[in-house]
Amino acid sequence: MSADLAHRARRWRPASAGPGKLRPTTTLWMFPATILMVGLFVAPIGYAIYLGFTNIELLGPHAQVYNFTGLANFDRMIHDPEFWSSVKLTLIFVVVSGIIAQTIVGMALALLGQRANITFRATVGSVVVLAWVLPEVAVAFLWYAFSQAGGPLSEIIRRPHDDLLSTVPFLIVCVANLWRGTAFSMLILSAGLRSVPSEVDEAAQMEGAGYWRRLFKVTLPIMRPTIVTNMLLITIGTISDFTLVYAMTGGGPGTATAILPVYMYIEAFTYNALAYGTAIALALMAIGALISVLYIHQLRPELRKAQ
Amino acid sequence: MRSLRPKQEEDRDLAPLADGGLGAGVAQAAQRSPVAISRAQIRRPDRRDRKQRAIANSILVLLGIGFLTPMIWLIDAAFSTHASSALSAPSLTFANFGKTISEGAGGAIGNSLYLGIVSTVIATVVSILAGYALSRHRVPLKAFFLLSVLFLSALPFQLLLIPIYEIYVHLGWLNSPFYTSVALAANSVPFAIWLLKNFIDQVPREFEEAAAIEGAGSVRILWKVVVPLAMPGILVASILTFINAWGAFLLPLVIDTNPADTPAAIGIYSNILADAQIQYGPLAAYAILFSIPVIVLYLVCTRWLHGGFAFAGGVKG
Amino acid sequence: MAKIILEGVSKVFKDKPSPAVDDLNLEVEDGEFLVMVGPSGCGKTTTLRMIAGFEVPTAGVVRIGGKPMNNIWPKDRNLAMVFQNYALFPHMTIAKNLAFGMKARGEPRATIAREIENVAGMLGIESLLGRKPGELSGGERQRVALGRALLRRPEAFLLDEPLSNLDAALRAQMRLELKRIHAQFPVTTVYVTHDQVEAMTMADRIALMSHGRLQQTASPEYIYDHPANAFVASFIGSPKINFFQGALVRDGGGPRVTFLDCSLELTGTAGEAVERLPHPNVTVGFRPEEIRLAPASGGRLPTVKCVVELVEPLGPETILVVRAGEETLVCKVPARSGLTAGDVVTLEFDTSQAKLFDPESGSRLN
Repeated sequence: MSADLAHRARRWRPASAGPGKLRPTTTLWMFPATILMVGLFVAPIGYAIYLGFTNIELLGPHAQVYNFTGLANFDRMIHDPEFWSSVKLTLIFVVVSGIIAQTIVGMALALLGQRANITFRATVGSVVVLAWVLPEVAVAFLWYAFSQAGGPLSEIIRRPHDDLLSTVPFLIVCVANLWRGTAFSMLILSAGLRSVPSEVDEAAQMEGAGYWRRLFKVTLPIMRPTIVTNMLLITIGTISDFTLVYAMTGGGPGTATAILPVYMYIEAFTYNALAYGTAIALALMAIGALISVLYIHQLRPELRKAQ
Repeated sequence: MRSLRPKQEEDRDLAPLADGGLGAGVAQAAQRSPVAISRAQIRRPDRRDRKQRAIANSILVLLGIGFLTPMIWLIDAAFSTHASSALSAPSLTFANFGKTISEGAGGAIGNSLYLGIVSTVIATVVSILAGYALSRHRVPLKAFFLLSVLFLSALPFQLLLIPIYEIYVHLGWLNSPFYTSVALAANSVPFAIWLLKNFIDQVPREFEEAAAIEGAGSVRILWKVVVPLAMPGILVASILTFINAWGAFLLPLVIDTNPADTPAAIGIYSNILADAQIQYGPLAAYAILFSIPVIVLYLVCTRWLHGGFAFAGGVKG
Repeated sequence: MAKIILEGVSKVFKDKPSPAVDDLNLEVEDGEFLVMVGPSGCGKTTTLRMIAGFEVPTAGVVRIGGKPMNNIWPKDRNLAMVFQNYALFPHMTIAKNLAFGMKARGEPRATIAREIENVAGMLGIESLLGRKPGELSGGERQRVALGRALLRRPEAFLLDEPLSNLDAALRAQMRLELKRIHAQFPVTTVYVTHDQVEAMTMADRIALMSHGRLQQTASPEYIYDHPANAFVASFIGSPKINFFQGALVRDGGGPRVTFLDCSLELTGTAGEAVERLPHPNVTVGFRPEEIRLAPASGGRLPTVKCVVELVEPLGPETILVVRAGEETLVCKVPARSGLTAGDVVTLEFDTSQAKLFDPESGSRLN
């Protein structure tokens, strides 16, 4: 091997070559990613935490020059009835139409898919997944039109003159969210279902257990880690969901559907209160973090086993 | 459901009957022509299973119809001349598509394309470099970096919106499709890095070592050896980034208010806002045009790239 | 009336051309310990699953207690099954595992507790009741699975290779335990295994299967001494029976079969059966213990000179693998006979035990 080649081969050291100095290529290659992430992720987080304690505005006197105002925003938040109403809406949106409803419908689809003919399973599965794949704005438009007075939904429930987005906006938004998100649960829970050993179910059958007893006492408990993980992922995905609701109702009528992400946008960009909006976003993050901690707590035994 | 019974046990006991013809003789004895069982008998599901299957099929179909109905309306409206929010017999016309394109949908979709492509290119390049470095090189604080990468993917985007807006104001980067793409790329980079790092981990290092012996430099190795091998993972990451950027709503809404730059997502939305003057037909066509690329990409992902779609649950508006 | 009856039972799977079980007729008597044995893929597990109800026969009827069961779900058949991998509920304690069936049947709590105590005591698993299956060893899990089956008080026990995941010592011990339990609770038992030793030691009757067909059903001793065909003769018995290619010779002095350098006189029905063959080939079988060292002074039995290839001392006896010309055969000799590889020995065949088979069909001729 020529000296030049040997030299070059030496310069390229595989990772297994043990500890060494930080090589110039490494720094170079990590540089763009680090810049992007620090600049557009880490710095903004810190900046957000700072801004939440100021009185910055979108336009006007405090847009360029703003002051530190301490806990003023949070004080305002605590006393703001619309904030708490938004929190309530968010919790219902995430927990009921997200976690509970999507898990149940997703689980039902997974269980039914097990027993049904393959063609049925594949076809219905594709339809459900299609609902999930569509871009959010398209889904928003779809459900907007679907629930208009004279539209298909109002026809189905036989109140053709009801604009459902005015009468039961939150319900419609929740249903749209359920429609859109179920596929994810269906896929994850199907995979989880397939990983339950069939012999365990057969043993339960031999013991004389009927379908429902087997489902609730054997199958679902075995699937617990999958189910909890699924719920965590649903939460993370739903809690920051802005587009679907905003595009359908703009948060209204009034603030009837103003879940926290929407409420934050309205306060920051419609009512000019950027700082207050930031504070709301911080609150949102805190709620998300709290819920995640609860989940991880639930998954502790499995996480420990995985180590 | 997976069975615990061992799948393949060797048929070890019949083989040792070495003495000529014996194995064959016994095998033949064991395989006298079976009791005639008609094909129909085999294919017909067992009687007790049939009832179960029928119930499952019916409920499944009901649920399927429930999911399908809104989509039926969409297709119906897109192809009807005087579409309204009610269902009517479609008249199979492409007029709505033409109309919506001429009224701005074409431009908006072009803008979405720009955002999608530019952000994907940026994110993919950045993530390949970082993913490779994390996979192969010694990086200080690697564990911390990886953990924070995962954590960042899970962060609610709302938190970043206002600070990014402010940063862009200070930098003068507002109302620029390019810088919007940069922000969108940054949004997808954490997850793409995680995906690619794990993917590259599974590429055997021997190929790179062989190339190094041949005298190739680091960049060439990456470009000619690693990238082709990691292509499925790269494609998945790119496709997810593209889908993310294509459907992006909140970020462009805030940092690019120039009407000429409006992507299709916001375009559809502004049409909904028009409320009383909504033209359902063209708008439905618009929505369909907007959705088709995503559907196609999703099919590509699942058919040829096997998965990654489970990760797409993180797709944010 | 027999407890379990299989009438003309067949099972064909959609993607496989040949049937997994082909026209099986079997009756298991009440209280009998029947072992279904055969090589992998012979259909024994499929048959067991049809008795259990997890598979529905493509043809034929499964009767339990006289009633046809084809379309009855497993949970309604009042049977108990012990699976190869025990199939304990991993998320429940052992106590809950054992209680599961009784709770499903609505038994009162006091009864459940009492029954569990009894069975746990009998199987020696009281100390395990609070633990979960993941914490138990293979042998312990197997006992729990047995306990769960016992608590079912079923019409019959079905066991699917329950010992195959245990090590040899544990297996031998569990064989005894199972026999003991069966003696104590003489419930009809169908036991599936691929190990012929388990079959021989445990069965009241053996049902030997191959390629989906039943080859022979008989008691262990009978199957050993009177195998119905070459497959049975070869499968049962360890070391395996020796087969030789023989030729029918008809010369003046009555029908004879020659194999190696020996000659065998045929008498009675054997002779007739051999005569009826369309070809002059006969397979001759001798078990290792039926081939012995010839006495020095010679005898009336046909002998053959061989070269020793392998000596396997077992303790109470020794197994020799020898070569005679181009054939290899296995025989048993007394222990410590001082033989080594390369020695030349003369072996004699105990012709009274000779088994003759038709090389084409494998069936027994004498």
